[in-house]
Amino acid sequence: MNELNTADASETSEGYQVRLGIFEGPLDLLLFLIRKKKIDIHDIPIAVITREYLDYLNHKERINLDREAEFLFIAALLIYIKSQLLLPREKDLAEGEDPRRPLVERLMEYQKVKAACEILREKEEEQLQNWKRAFLPPLSLEEELDLMEVSLFDLAEAFFLLMKKKESENYRLVRGKDVSLDLKMKEILETLREKKVIDFLQYLGQQETMEEALVSFFCLLELIKSRLVLAVQERLFQTIKVWLRKSRPESDADE
Amino acid sequence: MNEPLKKTIEALIFVSQEPLTLDKIKSVLEGFPAEEIEKSVEEVVADYAAAERGIRIIQTAGGYLFTTKPENDPWIRRLLQIERKSKLSSAGLETLSIIAYHQPITQAEISALRGVDSTYTLKTLLEKKLIKIVGRKKAPGNPLVYRTSEKFLVYFGLNSLEDLPSEEEISKLLEEKNSES
Repeated sequence: MNELNTADASETSEGYQVRLGIFEGPLDLLLFLIRKKKIDIHDIPIAVITREYLDYLNHKERINLDREAEFLFIAALLIYIKSQLLLPREKDLAEGEDPRRPLVERLMEYQKVKAACEILREKEEEQLQNWKRAFLPPLSLEEELDLMEVSLFDLAEAFFLLMKKKESENYRLVRGKDVSLDLKMKEILETLREKKVIDFLQYLGQQETMEEALVSFFCLLELIKSRLVLAVQERLFQTIKVWLRKSRPESDADE
Repeated sequence: MNEPLKKTIEALIFVSQEPLTLDKIKSVLEGFPAEEIEKSVEEVVADYAAAERGIRIIQTAGGYLFTTKPENDPWIRRLLQIERKSKLSSAGLETLSIIAYHQPITQAEISALRGVDSTYTLKTLLEKKLIKIVGRKKAPGNPLVYRTSEKFLVYFGLNSLEDLPSEEEISKLLEEKNSES
């Protein structure tokens, strides 16, 4: 349940080889050692605890350099405090001038955080058993930050909204000019190669006839399906942009 | 009692996917006396608390929300084919509780309290929407300032930040621990 118990367990099973991962950080380790040695937090024998602490750092097997820096920082702090304690002084230190005090205060604060965590952990466990209506199973894939690939429905909705708008603008069906899907698709790819990105709605809006707009829409769907282009929305309710996919095989483009 | 009013309130809470506040209920049910609404809400909540129900209404983040009762959890997970719900990492929980007690707070202040760099953990908590950025501190570098979100309260079943473990609860736990060792 709590970190200290886990640390205890691994200590008995593998001698003194407690690994870094068990502790959230140097303060956590320090608190563990203080408790293990049954030391009064307000009167820490710095030499003893420093030896324990360094011993621990030396015994651990694998290290992550980033995290080690944090552990070493506290080691340095301990040695600094010890040196302060050893320095001869003209006058005795007044109450509250103990060089250990800032560290003790930090530890006390951290101890409180750990305790609060323990209580919150229980609350979390309780709440995980209460299912709310808004619950959605967590997505297994990490989403790319701020970029959302849009679904067919988003595209279709955007398209129909546009068509409705166009309808009111007297957008008429003109017969006689046939638009081929193949040609249109080539045209779109051509445009994309030139401009890198096109605005989905703007592009459809530019089409001369309803038919051409429809064909363009189907072309885009086809291109998205064959994974030649990518339709992306930067944020919800923003315009949909179409990009060429970078990793597309060359041969596909000419088909 | 006002039965139709009770039914309406029940429906309002049911459709809300986020905690529905009393104020919101009152503003929707304009024209009904506030007292009567309050009483009806209480009654609806009490009705669901009755033993024979599988769902209940909890008070969280300052509002009312339907949830299932805990004893149904194993069956729900079987239905949804979820082995277990993922819990917060220790680093996440630690960071979150520091923010909860010290908000508004910056990344540097959190890292100092933990003795560990917290940039990555903050990012994860932001993604989970358990914390939010509320602005920048007027200090060198104008660092971002973080607070816990409403979702944080719902996540831990708290009604407000005042429901966080109190100073007394924490010292009691610490005393227990110290006497243990």
